[in-house]
Order: sequence, then C-alpha cells, then structure tokens
Amino acid sequence: MMRTRSKIARWALNIYAGVGMFYLFVPILFIIAFSFNKPRGNFNIVWQSFTFDNWLSPFSEKSLTAALWVSLRVGFVSTIVSTVLGSLIAIALSRHKFRGSGSINLFLVLPLTTPEIVLGSSLATLFLGQGFVNFGFVTIVIAHIMFQVSIVALTVRARIRGFDWTLEQAAQDLGASSFRTFWKVTFPLILPGILAAGLLAFALSMDDFIITFFNAGSTVTFPLQIYGAARVRIPPQINVLASMILFVSVAILLIGTVSGARRQASMSGSRHTK
Amino acid sequence: MNTALSVPTRQRVGRNADRVGLGALVIASTCLVALGAGWVSGPFRPVVVLVFVAVVVGLLVLVAIGGPQARRLLAPYGLLQPGILWLALFFLAPVWSLLRISLSTKPSRFSVDYTFSWAFENYTTAFRDFGKQFEHAFVYAAVATVLTVLIGYPLAYVIAFRGGKYKNVLLGLVVIPFFTSYLIRTIAWSTILADRGPAVAILRNVGLVRLLEALNIMNNGRLLNTPAAVIGGLTYNFLPFMLLPIYVSLEKIDTNLVNAANDLYSSSVRAFRKIVLPLSVPGVFAGTLLTFIPAAGDFVNAQLLGNPNTTMIGNSIQDQFLKQNNYPVASAMATVLMVSIASLVLIYTRLFGTEELA
Amino acid sequence: MNTSTNSFRSSMTRRQFLARSGAVGALGLSLPALLAACGGADDGGAASLFFENWPLYIDPTEGDTKGTVDRFMEASGVKMTYTEAYNDNNEYFAKIQPLLGAGKSVEPDIINPTFWLAGRLLALGWLEKLPLDKIPNAANLVPGMRNPTWDPTGEYSLPWQAGMAGIAYNIEVTGRELKSVEDLFDPAFKGKIGMLTEMRDTMGLIMMGLGMDPSTVTSFDDAAGAFDKLEKAKSDGQIRAFTGNDYVDDLVSGNFAACVGWSGDVLQLQKDSPHVRFVIPEEGGTLWADVMVVLKGAKNTDSIAKWMDFVYDPAEAAQLSAYVQYVSPVTGVQEELAKIDPDLATNPLMFPDEAMSARLRSWATLAEDVEAEFDAAFSKITGA
Repeated sequence: MMRTRSKIARWALNIYAGVGMFYLFVPILFIIAFSFNKPRGNFNIVWQSFTFDNWLSPFSEKSLTAALWVSLRVGFVSTIVSTVLGSLIAIALSRHKFRGSGSINLFLVLPLTTPEIVLGSSLATLFLGQGFVNFGFVTIVIAHIMFQVSIVALTVRARIRGFDWTLEQAAQDLGASSFRTFWKVTFPLILPGILAAGLLAFALSMDDFIITFFNAGSTVTFPLQIYGAARVRIPPQINVLASMILFVSVAILLIGTVSGARRQASMSGSRHTK
Repeated sequence: MNTALSVPTRQRVGRNADRVGLGALVIASTCLVALGAGWVSGPFRPVVVLVFVAVVVGLLVLVAIGGPQARRLLAPYGLLQPGILWLALFFLAPVWSLLRISLSTKPSRFSVDYTFSWAFENYTTAFRDFGKQFEHAFVYAAVATVLTVLIGYPLAYVIAFRGGKYKNVLLGLVVIPFFTSYLIRTIAWSTILADRGPAVAILRNVGLVRLLEALNIMNNGRLLNTPAAVIGGLTYNFLPFMLLPIYVSLEKIDTNLVNAANDLYSSSVRAFRKIVLPLSVPGVFAGTLLTFIPAAGDFVNAQLLGNPNTTMIGNSIQDQFLKQNNYPVASAMATVLMVSIASLVLIYTRLFGTEELA
Repeated sequence: MNTSTNSFRSSMTRRQFLARSGAVGALGLSLPALLAACGGADDGGAASLFFENWPLYIDPTEGDTKGTVDRFMEASGVKMTYTEAYNDNNEYFAKIQPLLGAGKSVEPDIINPTFWLAGRLLALGWLEKLPLDKIPNAANLVPGMRNPTWDPTGEYSLPWQAGMAGIAYNIEVTGRELKSVEDLFDPAFKGKIGMLTEMRDTMGLIMMGLGMDPSTVTSFDDAAGAFDKLEKAKSDGQIRAFTGNDYVDDLVSGNFAACVGWSGDVLQLQKDSPHVRFVIPEEGGTLWADVMVVLKGAKNTDSIAKWMDFVYDPAEAAQLSAYVQYVSPVTGVQEELAKIDPDLATNPLMFPDEAMSARLRSWATLAEDVEAEFDAAFSKITGA
C-alpha cells in the first residue's frame, strides 16, 4: 500500500515538475507562434493570419538588425575581457590561500547584491562626473564587463573547486616547464568551466537592459531597440530574431550534449581497447 | 633557490610579501576609486595616477625579482589585480559617486554641477514621496521569490534525482527560454494575459474568474495590468535564478545517503525532509538572494504588466533620473534601495548561515 | 627538497603570472583599438546629414515608391543618415543633457522634439539658429504657426508635423458616441480608460474639462484642481494605464474603451478599424507640434538647409502627409494631397475646419520651475 502511495506521489511530483517545465515554455511558444503572424496594425499582439513572410525577410527591420549587431559586438568584446579577468580571479581564489581572500570573496559578491538599477545609474553618474567620457559603445562595454566579472569569477570558481592543483606539481616534477604545465595540464581541465562562465556572461550581456539603458547614450543595443520601439510598434521581425536566437542556442546545446556523449563514449572506448 | 638571503630573511620577506601584495592591491584600488569618484581634483589627479602606476609596476617588479616564496605569495594578488581593479573603478567609484550626489543639491533642474551639502532632505523626500513604491517593490519581489521556490524546487529536484542521463538536456531546456530577450518575454506575457487573450479565455471557460477576483488576482475580469500580472512576470523572469542554485546544491548530494536512509526503513518523504532538504538549504539561500534582489529593483515588469497603482521603486528611480532630472533624489532612492537590500541580506545571512554564493 | 619544490612552484607561478598579465596587458593595449574599430560611425567626407526622428514619422521606401529620405538623397546628393531612435522627449533630453550641458556636441544634426522640449532647449541656449536664408521654402510655413510661443523669433525651429490630442474611443466597447472630457471619467468605463504619459495632452484635456485654459497658464496654481481629479481617477481604478503610442492596440482590441489619443494615430487605423473614433471634446483639445531643431555644435549647415527646404516643398510635404496623416505645417499641401489621396485631403483631422480649430489650444511655455512642479505632480500620479 505504501508502495502504491509512494508511486502515486512519485508520479504526482513528476507531473508537477512537468507543468513547471511547460510554464517555462509558454511565452516561448507564443513568441515563435507570433513570428508567423501577419499583424494588422503596428503591434504584433492579436493573431491575424499565418504567413511565412516574416521569416523570409527577417532582417528587413534595419534598425532592429543594426541593434542586434551592436549587441553581438558588445557581447563579444565584453565577454572576452570579463572572462579573462574573472577567470584570473577564480584561479587566484581557488589555487591559493592568501590574506584577504575572504574580503575578496565578499567584494566579488557585492555587485550581484546590488540591484541593476543602482549599478546602472551609479555608473552613469561616474561617467557624467568625468567630463571627457562620451556615452556609447565603450561605456556599454565597460558597464557589461563590470557585472560580468563577478559572475564569471564565481562561476569558474564553483566549477574548478574540485580541481587538484597538485597535478601541476606532478607535471613539473616530470620536467614540464611552467607554461607547458599550464597550457597542457591546467588549462584544458579548467576550460569547460571557463567556457561555461563565458557563455553565461555572453547571454547576460546580450540580454542586459537596465544597466545598458543608463549608459548607452545614443547607441542602441537589441534590448534597447525593443524597448524604445515597442512603445510605437512591435514588428513580427522581433519574434523572428528572438526565435532565431533561440534555435541557435538549442542547436549549440544539442551539439554540446552530443559531442560530450561522444567524447565520453570514446574515452570509455579507449579504456576498453587497453 | 637562487636567492642569497639567509633563511630567516627569506622567511621574513616571504611572510611580508603577502602583506605587501594585499597592500598594493588595496592602494591601487583606492587610487582608482579616488580618481573615479572625484576625491581629488585638479593638480592632485596626476599625483594619484602616478601613485597608482608606481604601485602596480612595483608589484610586478617585486614578483620578478623577489625570492621564490615571495613570488608564491604575491601570485594571487597579481592574478586578482586586473579584475579587482576593474571592479574598484567601475563599481566602487560609481557607488561612492552615487552616495555623494544623493547628499548634494543642484542649482537648477538642468544644470550638470552639484554642490555637496549634506542634503539629507533628499532622503526624507525619497521616503516620504515614494514609500508606496518601496513597499510594492519589496512585497512583489518577496511574493515572486516564494513562488519561484514553489515552482523551481520541485523541478530542480526532479531533474537532479530523476533526470538520469538526461540531466544536462533537461537543465539546458530550463535555461533555453531565457536566451530570448527579457523584454520580449515580458511583452509575450502581456499578450498572453490580455483581456481577449488565451489566459482569460481559459479561466472564463473553466469558471475560475469569480474565485480569482475574490482573491484579488483578477480585477474586473482582467488579468493584465494587475499586481498579480506584475508578480507573475517577476516570477517567470527570475525562475532560473532560483532553480539553478537549487539544482547545483541538490546535484551535489550523494544519492547513497538517500539510499542508506531507505535501507534503514525511512519513508522517502522522511528521507527528503531529513537529508535532502537540509543539504539543499545553501542552494535555496543563494537562489533567494539572486531572485529577490534583482526583482526588487526591477521596473520593466511593472511598466509592461502593471497599472499606475502598482509601480515599483525601480520605476520611480528611473523616472527621477530621466524625466525629472532630479539626480540627487534619484540617487538617494537608489542608495536607500541598496542599503535596505544589503540589510535584508545581512539579516537573512545571520538567520540561515553563509555558504559561498556559488 | 622543500626548496626545490618551492622554487618550481614559484617559478611556474611567476612565469604564469607574467604571461597572464602580459596577455591582459596586450589585450588592454589592443582594446582601445578594437573598441574604436567597433565604435561609432565615421562622419565626414561628402556632404552628410544626421536626422534623428520619432518612429513611423516619415514615408518609407516601399517597393517602387521612394520615401522622402531617398528622394532627398537623390535630389540633393547629400548622404543622409535617418534614425528612428527618438522615442520619448524626456528620455532623449536625459541623453543629451550631460553632453550639451558640458558644452559638447551630439551626433545628430537635426532632431525633432515636441514643441515644449524645443522651448526648453532654446531657454538653455542649446540650439543653433536655423540657416533660414538658405531655406526659401520656409516661407511656406502656415501663418498660424509662425513665431510660436516656444520660439518667438521663429529662428530656431521649423515644425515637422502638428497634431491634435483628443478622445479616441472604441465605439463597440463604449456603446455610444463620446463628446466630452467627462466621458473619460464615466464610471461605466471603470478600468478601461487610458491616458497619455504626455503631461500636456492629458492635463490639457482635464483642465479644459474643468474650464481652465492651458494657453494662459503661468503658475502651478492655475491647474491645481485638475491634478486632484486625475489622482482620484487613478486611485479609484478608473484609469487602466498611462501609455505612450502603444494605446492604439489596446484601443483596437478593446482593452481600452476610450483614451486620450492623437489624431494621426486614429486616422492611420481607421481604414482597417472603423469602430475606432476620434473626437475633439466640446470643452476643447490640445494642439501640439513636433519641430525640427538644430542642436548646438552641429556642423552640416548646408545639408540642414537643403533638407528643410526639401520637406517644405508642398509636393514633397504632401507625400509625407499622405503617409503620416498628421497636420502639415506647409501651405499648399492640401491641393497637392488632393492629387494623391483625395479622401485625406478633405479629412478634418488633417485639415481642421474653423469650428474644430476654435476648440484647440496650445500650451503656454512654462518657466523652468513651474514646469518642474507640473512634471513632478504628474509623475506622482502616473506612478512612474
């Protein structure tokens, strides 16, 4: 009897979780569905009729596409810089025990505990105070790097927590130079963590609205364009571009999973051939 | 190995190296904050820049010529330097700037100069005129956080414990929706919850409208432009911030523990309560902070899904900055928000104990 | 043994450290170059022009029909950058204020603010005089819009389009025709009323409903009762939302029964949605204009002159009007428009008759501190 009850409970939990997963996708389904809509007015809010036209001309909204391009460039630059800076911090924190590490830990968390509106507006006041600064691409990148560094540092540190640093010593004992050690031993092993953090940082940069809002000047990123233009019109191309971003991310996820599984299979395979 | 210093000297150098490293980091950061926040002006600025450069270069030189023990101790400071200095200049300095402006006054509405004058009246204005918005922000964010736990915890549990080899795929699926833009997702919700949209239609068909109106979730047959819609938006948009930390802490739990409990005749509910739940507390703790804090400062959800009576403090801060050009009061509001959240975090931390937030 | 392991570790650390900081340094040095390459557009070269305007405020190039921008570029040879990033007067002002306040110039040559912002920019000394001697067609400016309150000498602005704010309503939801400002406060429409975030249009209508006249306002007290009325309506839940241009869809779909709206918006959708109507209330409506101004430091004077001359040619202005469907500030447009779209040429929303004009009022220019009081009081209510 208890078995049946726990079985029902088990299934109930699974169903509840399934509903939760569905909840996550409800707006996504709408976004994709409405990308096929032919809106009557300026706003793509009421379903009119099905059409492929939007997908055939996804880049027809010039300002939207230009803004997407700006976002991609901002994301690219800021992710590279913040991943480097953050990874260095993470390596320092996890490999070494040093005076002040607790405070550094706390300091890293501070930007995450500050609401975005405070981060964005305070950075804007900083730039305003320095007379020579022009708001634009550079200030956006600086702002993004600022919040990405903490996230990268904490993510990488979490990922490399179990890393055995004595591996480096072993490599050196076997005669490897320090650079070779890092490049051949340490780096490949912590690379997945760094990549994951970089990906996360890139996603956050692409989507950032509030901090960018205060620091962009006349430069328009993808979220800013949507916000600005959304007051006047919401062309279906927004849905198309958003769906495209979604499909690309799904594809990357699938490739990652498949190649990970394949690597696992080949590793266990090579063990067997021994 | 190469140094000619005696062991005690080397040890003294080595021991002090970490103080030197930490000191260098602190001094360099302070210089940057001083430059950025305008502590110094005019002729002093180049002096500060020189000090900064000297310290950074000095640290590098020490690393190059110092003894091996010194290098080992200085290494972490070297690694930390670029990132921490960046944060010092672009996080600490701005916050200081913000504080200073919050206590300043402006001669006229559109001037760009401030006079620092310990203007505490900015804070009284912030509290007096925007108390309601603060209240909305904290209440909506709190409710949304609770909802994210209710939705996110079971989902994280199922993925972690019953996901098997599909764990990563399921986790990926959870994260994928958030690769679309925050704004587009929120706009999508305004479509879904619209008066003639599917949500209201379904509720009407099922007959839940009366009940929801009684619960104050719906208003005059409306789901959009209500506090419930705002809370719903916040819940949805911050769900992954709750789910992922919970998942991480659940995943670390050794299933053998649960198996052992089951072997000892414990019911699965009891095993959950006594083993899994306590071990997942750090995840819930981290998730709560990562959800509540940004939600409290949000303005997008209130703007797109709410009505004029549901505005949050984020909306007001944005308005004061951009429409009223009242930077002092806006900064005061932002500071109050930051300080209140920080205090809540501190209290919360005391109650639930700290773990690292990763 | 300890020594050797220590030295190995530390030498590795040092090399790594140097290598890494070198890498970061190199990245840092190349970063500005990278950013500069990624950064803003390069202006200069042949004659160019940068006009930043509101969205959907110009006829675009569709298929074979060339839009105004393309026609201008062909006719004048000027390389024109036209952006639609001007979404909100206050937001835009907040963007340019730190630059202009510090005496620096901004990228766009021409922007198109609403009249009151133009007045504010002029009062702050941030506008350049228009090269009127090079704009012969400026003589085509409708007489009623010459030497306006926000630009008494008329040397700093040329209107782009004018328009009216009144009551836009969905007759399927209201069930009746609306005539008065009081209809917006009808309890039957509770929770289905929208108002504009544009303070002057919303408050203007409410003030006229109470018998006040926005064109004679000199101090905040002249409007006191109006704000209380709005506050009450808001807390009673009469008003569903304060919107920008996005009231249109709410109106069409029926989320709003009625709202304060703009003439051109309603006109544009009346072909497809005849159930949406627009009326200037009997107590009065507001007349506004978006005006082209040149911000201080703009250099392309010749191109600016060419552009303004081009759009003030009645034939070109008619093309613009046919698309935008607001009130054109150029005389002779009505005749030209009759050739393109006869229905529009006789539409009272585009060419208001005497009776309508008599009910329209423009806002007086408010002094800086008075404006601040109005804005603050309005913000408190809109809850922003």
